[in-house]
Amino acid sequence: MEDGARERATDAAIVFENLARSFGEIEAVKDVTLTIPRGQICGYLGPNGAGKTTTVKMATGMLEPTAGRAIVEGFDIVQEPLEAKRVIGVVPETGALYTTLTPNEYLALVGRLYHIDRDETEAKAHTFLELFGIEDAADRLMTTFSRGMKQKVLISAALLPNPSVLFLDEPLSGLDANTALVLKELLRDLASQGRTIFYCSHILEVVEKVCDRVVILVRGEVIADGRVEELKDMTHQGSLEDVFSELTSSEDLAQIVRAFSRSVTGDGERSA
Amino acid sequence: MTTGADSTRKGRRATAVDWEQFRALLVASVRLDLRSTRMQRGRAAKFPPVAAAFATYLVMGTLLALAVMSTEDIFVFSLFTLSAAMFMTALLVIMEYSSVVVHPDDFDILGHRPISSKTYYWAKIANLGLYVAATAFALSIPAAIVAGVRYPPGAALTAVYLLVALAACQATSALVVLIYSVAIRVFNYEKFTRAITYVHTLSTLVIVFGYVLLPRVLAKDVMLISVERGAWVYAMAPAWFAGAVELAAGEAGRQTLVLAGAAVASAAALIWAAMNTISLDYSRRISALATASAKAVEEAGRRRSLGRLGLPLCRTDEERAGFELMRSYMTRDRKLRARIYPAFGLPLAVYIYGIITDGLHDPFVPQAVSGGFPAHQLLGFYSVFITLFFATAIAQTDQWEASWVFFAAPVRSRAGIVTGARKLIIWRYLLPFFVFLFILLAFAMPPAKAAMYVLLNLLLALTAFALLSMTSPHMPLSQSLEKAKQARQIGLIMLLGMSMAALTAILELMKQVPQAGLVVYPALVVLALGAELLLRRRLDRRLAGEEFPG
Ligand SMILES: Nc1ncnc2c1ncn2[C@@H]1O[C@H](COP(=O)(O)OP(=O)(O)O)[C@@H](O)[C@H]1O
Ligand SMILES: [Mg+2]
Repeated sequence: MEDGARERATDAAIVFENLARSFGEIEAVKDVTLTIPRGQICGYLGPNGAGKTTTVKMATGMLEPTAGRAIVEGFDIVQEPLEAKRVIGVVPETGALYTTLTPNEYLALVGRLYHIDRDETEAKAHTFLELFGIEDAADRLMTTFSRGMKQKVLISAALLPNPSVLFLDEPLSGLDANTALVLKELLRDLASQGRTIFYCSHILEVVEKVCDRVVILVRGEVIADGRVEELKDMTHQGSLEDVFSELTSSEDLAQIVRAFSRSVTGDGERSA
Repeated sequence: MTTGADSTRKGRRATAVDWEQFRALLVASVRLDLRSTRMQRGRAAKFPPVAAAFATYLVMGTLLALAVMSTEDIFVFSLFTLSAAMFMTALLVIMEYSSVVVHPDDFDILGHRPISSKTYYWAKIANLGLYVAATAFALSIPAAIVAGVRYPPGAALTAVYLLVALAACQATSALVVLIYSVAIRVFNYEKFTRAITYVHTLSTLVIVFGYVLLPRVLAKDVMLISVERGAWVYAMAPAWFAGAVELAAGEAGRQTLVLAGAAVASAAALIWAAMNTISLDYSRRISALATASAKAVEEAGRRRSLGRLGLPLCRTDEERAGFELMRSYMTRDRKLRARIYPAFGLPLAVYIYGIITDGLHDPFVPQAVSGGFPAHQLLGFYSVFITLFFATAIAQTDQWEASWVFFAAPVRSRAGIVTGARKLIIWRYLLPFFVFLFILLAFAMPPAKAAMYVLLNLLLALTAFALLSMTSPHMPLSQSLEKAKQARQIGLIMLLGMSMAALTAILELMKQVPQAGLVVYPALVVLALGAELLLRRRLDRRLAGEEFPG
């Protein structure tokens, strides 16, 4: 524990240094360098396949970087994986759970993996499941759960060990509007207590509302990084949505849509 | 790539096992084992598959023990029963490797949690140990009881036999784990994913060679079981453990002592070595096996167009759909192939053994049983054995949820889809296997005889394929994979396979009465067609009202 303290003197909760990963020919993440201070909610935004999940996997010790380093709370995830993993919470994109356990059993397992006292785990599990409105299902096997219900359990499991850094990969998948609001409030509250949140999404409006800072990733490269207002100023446009589509698409979106609808209706062929 | 891997290896410092985490992981995995992953909507989870497998093994163990209890010799008794238990254990761990040793979701769920590789693998080893212990117990408790009742010194032998059987089965499962981990280290990752099915088959072969004694002894004299103990006992793993039982029964000759020593040493060495192989990193590799990279799939798709040539065998659109579906799954789903290919290991091992020992000769001519190994006496069993693997395996896949399309599509005959899938299996796998067999046998006997003989086996295999498909009347690839589900099926297969030994009676008949062939072949054709007809009726009835199980 102490050996990490030397680097913890800095205020950075997450540091990526020239982080890169390729899969054969595909360069999923190219040379990402970022510093995220403690207490910040950082949106990591990009279209499908941009490399968000790959970044999170490298930052949480699930994937080895091809190059560069990821440092979480002063611990290099590759050199000191256990120390780093102790302080992070992850909501993975895959939504993987042991579905033949009940939420209570699953949370109990997670609690014990982090050496949390049994009573404390039980109390916390109860609070979370109640907050998300699935306390009735707490002792039912998760095989029959909807994606949203599973997502609620995943978020509870990520929060249970009281992590100081949270990685959320598309955390809203399957959640209803109401729960999305609850989560947003929860994240703000956590950030105000000094927790750092790395929030991956391809949906703009959520990121715009929740995050202090937005990093935009396209084809594995960071193409923009700043506060929401700064980004808006940068492009002199109204909403982040416009900024986003301007930055991420090289072609005129309207043109693509027109071509597509023509191909669906068959107009294109006839006129050609 | 290398820089990242190197630094990780450096970072993976030796850490002690965290026993609290260990207990939590073990409790969770035992819970997962005991529960059915598939809940019928509304209904509570059924009888867990593990319990069903346990019951099947109990029946098998009982039959085995009763079958060989006529022998006066405790060594021979143990040799038989232990061989069977070890063989079953090996088969089980090979076939269910991806679910028995590591849960496919483990890496996604645990990879980002502060668990050291060491803790994880201890929990996994303990889980595997419990699983193997439970099956070994079911397979061996009947034999242990018989040993205590039938042979001196009595009751104490029951306890010793059980202990030896547990050690023997644990050592066998450790051997399989080791074969895998060596394979993972020798090949690089990409190659390994490609090689995995062949590794499966190869390990079956290796293991089967350890057990060829069973047919050998059977062939000597089916009724009066006895064994001429020669130097070969030192080469037979089950004989070592039988030696340990014999030692406990009071025999303390030099050979017995050596055998018992070998048993203890091999069990200790194998278990120790296996305990140093599984890690969380390993679970990632295994779970990644399922997802072939797009490029590889593309290549595979191009390579295997041979199967298409069988398409004219299909008469309806439904059959063609089933045929194509099965073809693409067999090409792309590595896990499916990995479950099926090992079935070829057993017969291949036996035939190769037969050729090496010069034991394959004209099966239709009466021959003195003295020399060589009359492998063909049991060929019916082996041919049927393969078929049974296909019959049970084609219904199951990881991606069973995709089968909703069968239930949503407006098909006239759902049975047609199953028939198409079965036609692919026959065309792409069974026929080539029997052609290969013909070529192999043509070296050992006149080609005409080889052809007659292979035809006999093919007809039996087709009959068995139809009959066995009846026990699993589902749409192809529509059932989820469950731990122990396959174990139970393998148990059933082996039970049925044992009864197939009776088929040697047909061979006997043809030896005595050469003209019998004129009756036997038409009769077998009728039998095969009849079985097929029965199956279609059953499928029609069963599938008509079936709903998507998801
Ligand atoms: N295991 C893998 N093997 C090969 N390619 C991968 C793998 N994982 C991700 N990729 C590729 O890397 C790119 C980035 O993927 P990902 O990080 O999942 O994107 P995002 O989460 O932003 O949608 C994609 O092109 C994807 O196909
Ligand atoms: Mg993603």
